[in-house]
Amino acid sequence: MHEASIATELIKIAVSECDRSGFTKIDSIKVIVGRATGVMTDALLFAFNVLKEGTPAEKANLIIEEIPVRGICRDCGKDFESNENYLIFECPSCGSFSINLISGKELNITEMEVSNEN
Amino acid sequence: MKIKVTTKILDANERIAEENKKMFKEAGVYVINLMSSPGAGKTSLLEKTISAIKDRVKVGVIEGDITGTNDAERIDRLGVPVVQINTEGACHLDANMIADAARELPLKDLDILFIENVGNLVCPAEFKVGEDVKVMILSLTEGDDKPLKYPLMFQESSVLIINKVDLKDLLDVSIDKIKKDAQFLNPKIKIFEVSCKTGQGIEEWTNWLLTSIS
Repeated sequence: MHEASIATELIKIAVSECDRSGFTKIDSIKVIVGRATGVMTDALLFAFNVLKEGTPAEKANLIIEEIPVRGICRDCGKDFESNENYLIFECPSCGSFSINLISGKELNITEMEVSNEN
Repeated sequence: MKIKVTTKILDANERIAEENKKMFKEAGVYVINLMSSPGAGKTSLLEKTISAIKDRVKVGVIEGDITGTNDAERIDRLGVPVVQINTEGACHLDANMIADAARELPLKDLDILFIENVGNLVCPAEFKVGEDVKVMILSLTEGDDKPLKYPLMFQESSVLIINKVDLKDLLDVSIDKIKKDAQFLNPKIKIFEVSCKTGQGIEEWTNWLLTSIS
């Protein structure tokens, strides 16, 4: 997907949260990435490490937690969960594309650690 | 110290898209996000559509391309307001680009605004721009395997226009398979078969369009 744009947004949000809380340095950022977003975590990490330079997140670690896909098929009722990337919204049991996705589309910042530079 | 945050990373685009939608609604303009692969016929469909309806409704166009003004020039010849966006590398239009471009159009005078997205069957489907409806084109020369290979575009679109149907006897392509697979992915999708070259099917499409804005 668009890992560089996502990393840019992520840094922007983190820096503004850090400012708002009155701190000057970001030590770590935790994000959750659902398996149905199409986001490649390696590419996101790479983009983050390049784009963080010169920002208060310069020394920050990005911690990525991948969220499994959970869905219920509207046709056969199958409740399924998968830790694989899930891009074609297809029921693993009956092949239907009528899926009610319960998780897997997450792309959120959940927590950051901040401090003041000494 | 730790700070808890619960911010969606792509929130910014969705928020701007919502603002765009509000702006379009207040101006009373119906907005169509037109998407397809490169060369499927987005600009040709716009030319045919605008020629057919411009005496009855006021039309404006935002053209999205990586570079160049070829498409905007084609639309300009029809005498309707057009703004060209050059994304300079980006593979899709986002809500912010549309917010900027829309300011250059006389929105209050328009009934319909077409946004011609960057030619790409993948990324535009992921970014809302504040449209009322997403319309996609698939041309027959692309092959009948495309719905199942690029499912998101077919799932996100409310309308599928199958273009270049005048070539059907020359190609090993099944229109029925395209329709069946598209409806499998998206049971509610509305499908039109057209040829921008011969004009076949254009009237059904423009009739639907005029009905949906009234």
